Amino acid sequence: MQHLANVNELRAQTDEAAIQVDNLSHTYAGPDGGVPALIDISLNVRKGRFVVIVGPSGCGKTSLLMMLAGLRAHDEGTILCHGRPIPQPDPERVGVIFQEASLFPWLTTMDNIEFPLSLGSTPREERRRRAQSMLSLVSLEGFGERYPHELSGGMKQRVSIARGLVQNPPVLLMDEPFAALDEQTRMTMGHELLRIWSTTQKTVLFITHSLTEAVYLADEVLVMSARPGRIIDHIEVTLPRPRTYEMMATDVFGRLRDRIWQQIRKAD
Amino acid sequence: MTRFEIIAIRLILLGVVLAAWEALPRLGFINPLLLPPLSQVLVTLGDLLQRPMVQEAVAVTALEVIVAFIVAVPIGAAAGILIAENQYVGDIFKPMLFYVFSIPKSIFLPMFILVFGIGFQQKVAYAAFTTAFVVLMSAAAAVESVRADHIMVARSYGATRGQILRRVYVPSMLPILLEALRIAMIFNFTGVMIAEMYASRTGIGHLIANWGENFQMPQLFAGVIVLSVVAILFNEAVRALEARCSTWRT
Repeated sequence: MQHLANVNELRAQTDEAAIQVDNLSHTYAGPDGGVPALIDISLNVRKGRFVVIVGPSGCGKTSLLMMLAGLRAHDEGTILCHGRPIPQPDPERVGVIFQEASLFPWLTTMDNIEFPLSLGSTPREERRRRAQSMLSLVSLEGFGERYPHELSGGMKQRVSIARGLVQNPPVLLMDEPFAALDEQTRMTMGHELLRIWSTTQKTVLFITHSLTEAVYLADEVLVMSARPGRIIDHIEVTLPRPRTYEMMATDVFGRLRDRIWQQIRKAD
Repeated sequence: MTRFEIIAIRLILLGVVLAAWEALPRLGFINPLLLPPLSQVLVTLGDLLQRPMVQEAVAVTALEVIVAFIVAVPIGAAAGILIAENQYVGDIFKPMLFYVFSIPKSIFLPMFILVFGIGFQQKVAYAAFTTAFVVLMSAAAAVESVRADHIMVARSYGATRGQILRRVYVPSMLPILLEALRIAMIFNFTGVMIAEMYASRTGIGHLIANWGENFQMPQLFAGVIVLSVVAILFNEAVRALEARCSTWRT
């Protein structure tokens, strides 16, 4: 507890931007001159914060995340990640966790976690060591030699998180990572993610369409409208950390969730 | 049932079939002129394998099978990958290829004879033609089996094009490609056999057709045994490779 309190203090002190987006707009080419996907998105994620973007399906939140990861180009506006643009993927700065765990089925758990390192010049022993420590971080010791088809949905997503963290990027982008999991696993994984986040002190930008998940995890929630996506609200979640399951029953939690819901409904 | 028991039962069944092959013609249940007893076929087989004419036929057939395979696989694979990877080429050629794929290839055999004669070239051309279609379809399916999210993951970790090819495409496609090779060889072998039996001067298929016409049943069955053994050996070799490359498959 003492340790977590210190971490929070440390976080509160930094105002530096990890991700800075200014006036980002994007239109997808289409038969009738194109479909506007994102309109005038500006946001600022400070270092070490846990920020959640919530919005209806198809609002362009995944597109936004792809652009922040350097996986997709955008038409207008600027994206800065740790002060520099990100025209192509940069695993030194940004790790991405996808909705499906997307593990390579022909690799063992350990080899999956090592995959990002194996693309570069990290020596073999160093790779093993770092993958091993990621494996313990996500509480999967003893599962290193298993293949993905031998793991449960929650375990796969843990491996995927370990793979996203193995290059030690300061920023973690997560695209509805728990959407495919059942309700109980999802709650557990949310809790686990907060534990991992407080241990590693990463900046996390997390996308979801679950209002409860958003409030439970976030320092700040950004609400997006249906397509074309705009940011229509910015909510500070004042609940103390560490978060507990009991908080979900409190008035504060309920009011925050209601506010997000009202915003999404109003914009519809 | 344990693995040992299953293997034991398989061997017993094989023994029963072989024993029946020996006993039924001898006991008069089956006309020995149509199905000669196994022992007689094996004696004929030993005798045939000594003859230069048969040895030459086996060598010719083997060479035809190998050359046709070497011609068909790269052509089929390249065409399959092209129509799967290139949207335009795919849109134009896919329906046409699917239609042609459904036609029995043997009806084209007379044309191959007119163009290539009845020698080595005709066997290779016809077998390669039938085989290339199988390889093409499987290669296209293999490319389409590569998951977009796997490519995205690799890209997000900074993989280069070459790394994506080697580390994502190849392992994703490998099980389907190996399976394709195995099935392609079956088609390839069949192609050579049909071409040899239809019109030829040599080759094991030609000999089998001749023995059949002349009612030389021991020779005919001996030929069948030789071909079966070769075909099964090749099939099992690729299957063993396949199993080694896809332990991760459920």
